[in-house]
Amino acid sequence: MKILIAISSKEYSGPTLDVGMNIARAIQSSTTIVDVGQKISEFSLKDVSMANEVMESWDIDRPGVDVLEWAYNYLSENQFIEEQALKDGFPKNVLIESGTGRAEVLLKGSALENLSMILRNGDIIKELRDEVNTHEYDLTIIGGSGKRSMAHDMIQYIDSSIFVVNNFNINENYKILLAVDDSPGTAKAVKYGVRVAQAFNIKVELITISKDKHLVEENKKASDYAAKMMRRSGVEAQRIFKTGDPVDTIIETAGTNRIIIMGASSQSPITKFFMGSKPLNVMENCNCPVLIVK
Amino acid sequence: MFGFSARSVSDILFWVTRKKWLILSFLLSISFFYVPSPDGLSPEGHRTLIIVLVALILIISESIPLPGVAILILIMEVILGVDTADGVASSFMSDAVFFIMGSLMLAVSLVHQGLDKRLALLVINITGNKTWSIVLGFVGISAFLSSFIGEHTVGAMMLPVALALIRNAGLSTTQATKLSTLLLFSIAYGCAIGSIGTPSGGGRNVIMIGYLSEFGMAEISYLEWMKFAYPMLIIEIPIVALVLWFTFTPEQKMMDSSVRKLKVKVAKTGKLTANQIMAIIIFILVFLGWIFLSPIIGLGIVALSGVFLYLSFGLVEWQEINRNTNWGVILLFGSAISIGIQMKETGAALWVAEETLYYLEVIFQDIAVVRWFVSVIVTGILTNLLSNAATVAVLGPIILDMGGDPIIMGIMTSIASAFAYLTVVASPTCMIIHSTGLISSSDYFKAGWKLFIISVIVLLMVSTFYWPILL
Repeated sequence: MKILIAISSKEYSGPTLDVGMNIARAIQSSTTIVDVGQKISEFSLKDVSMANEVMESWDIDRPGVDVLEWAYNYLSENQFIEEQALKDGFPKNVLIESGTGRAEVLLKGSALENLSMILRNGDIIKELRDEVNTHEYDLTIIGGSGKRSMAHDMIQYIDSSIFVVNNFNINENYKILLAVDDSPGTAKAVKYGVRVAQAFNIKVELITISKDKHLVEENKKASDYAAKMMRRSGVEAQRIFKTGDPVDTIIETAGTNRIIIMGASSQSPITKFFMGSKPLNVMENCNCPVLIVK
Repeated sequence: MFGFSARSVSDILFWVTRKKWLILSFLLSISFFYVPSPDGLSPEGHRTLIIVLVALILIISESIPLPGVAILILIMEVILGVDTADGVASSFMSDAVFFIMGSLMLAVSLVHQGLDKRLALLVINITGNKTWSIVLGFVGISAFLSSFIGEHTVGAMMLPVALALIRNAGLSTTQATKLSTLLLFSIAYGCAIGSIGTPSGGGRNVIMIGYLSEFGMAEISYLEWMKFAYPMLIIEIPIVALVLWFTFTPEQKMMDSSVRKLKVKVAKTGKLTANQIMAIIIFILVFLGWIFLSPIIGLGIVALSGVFLYLSFGLVEWQEINRNTNWGVILLFGSAISIGIQMKETGAALWVAEETLYYLEVIFQDIAVVRWFVSVIVTGILTNLLSNAATVAVLGPIILDMGGDPIIMGIMTSIASAFAYLTVVASPTCMIIHSTGLISSSDYFKAGWKLFIISVIVLLMVSTFYWPILL
């Protein structure tokens, strides 16, 4: 399994790294940390790259390297990587161009086999989409800052599961709120639910929402299945049955101290594009971290 | 759906949302194609204007790569019957394109010599350690150098000097402060006002000289251009420094320790190497060539001769030039000039000029004011949206067809195209300083609008009181 963690600035990316690295460690996945920098106009692409080269000869980092260096130090301070993994510290002067607008920090051949750090420049959705498509990540983890404006495009175009680390507080006692119904996405969402619960060692609430009073038989079956999976994996789970509008109910139940996990909508991309979807509405309006499983 | 997988439908949707401007330009071009040609506009002229519209939309939106736009212009010119394939090919290449190509290559060759540390020493020796004099020095030296060697080179070489000073002042080079904003804008705006000074200051000046000569309107030599434009450059240096200082007044009024550290660092690089001396000599030869030989062999050929010397003396590798030259931009300017020439030849430029004069005269009542408005204000606005050379390539033929003295109109347009203060995309140096992450898009407006207005006023004064003496 491969995880992509998108960070943007030192001020806001700590929680994103915490969440991402905890999951990565629990499932022993390989992880890539990416910083997507500003889009450079094509007219000036070469002028900027020439200026960057001159800056290197002055030992001035090219923009973005400082963010990756900060991330590296953050990981080692928080024991996500061994402090002595790289003898001479972060190798900021060793950037390898690996595609148009993509540069990788040379970490290979070190003790950090499962970690890559890359810089990209351009429109964030396009860059993340390219990265996910060419390097086949299973999960993209991103901070909550651009949540509303980017939610639609992320759900629509990024072909991996998406974890938006929105309002995450490391000291909060989180539970997982796992949305369970008869849709095809539920089974995969349950699997992710187990992994995240194990990564953070937290409890799970399985929420099943029906539009009116009587519980649909299929929904009940789905809830039974989820509860069984939790039991087998040794994850403590509690079942909740509610009636009402699914989106509102999930957001209301989640409050600020749940991590919402739900399957992606199975509607056609065109319907989703014009009409939106439940995961999209949840992502746009919730006040807590949310993971949409594709 | 229709046999497509959800993934491919999603791919198509992504393409459509990212390429909406391409699709819009396609739809617009088809609709305009079927609109009957207005009175006074030939069918070829009509179709030429369609190409101009498509090109403008695609360049501003950057929805396809620039070389793609360049190629599309050429294809449309032939398919829409504006000119034959050979005609298009010959209008595509000209001395102005040679010049743009040559000057981009010269920039790579010069930057490659590592002269930036020398330049740093020169700058701080001249300016001393007061922040105010450093700003004035940055603006002045950027303006002076970019007027001869073009802003690409100066931007790339001055940027590290500014960042080194900022770092030596104990400030972060990744977090914006007033000092960082001030110093970086001193470079960008210094380069912008400098680029008007001589024909070699920017590709657009050469494009304008090319149009004036191609249309049989006037021949302007390197020195003549300088006589017109250099005084304005000198007037603008203190103005830019003052406006920047009062817009971004820093807390640090002195930078003595910062300057001292820089001197220590630069001193380690030792004396000029033989290669560096050679590189400077070649550039001086190119400069002399522009002054004395360009009337006979053209500015572009002189620039290319310089590139030839750099290559043959082994001062730069071809791979280096190849890697750092923006071939896409060269293609695009070739196409832009080609479409400019077609606008003139098909009468499209004249038609647009006459229509503009007709409608704007109703508003302004005076034809001289209208000409001034289009050549200065419209150019100034468009240059902030497009690149400045593309602006001159497209607007040049129209403005030259509006009457008035062609030399004044031409130089005025070229100068106004340097008022690229307001946006990130306006000029390469604006983009270079933006790429550091220290300048946000809104910073450009803070000082930019003041400079835009002042520059317009200065240009008005210079063109009214000084230029007529020269003619």
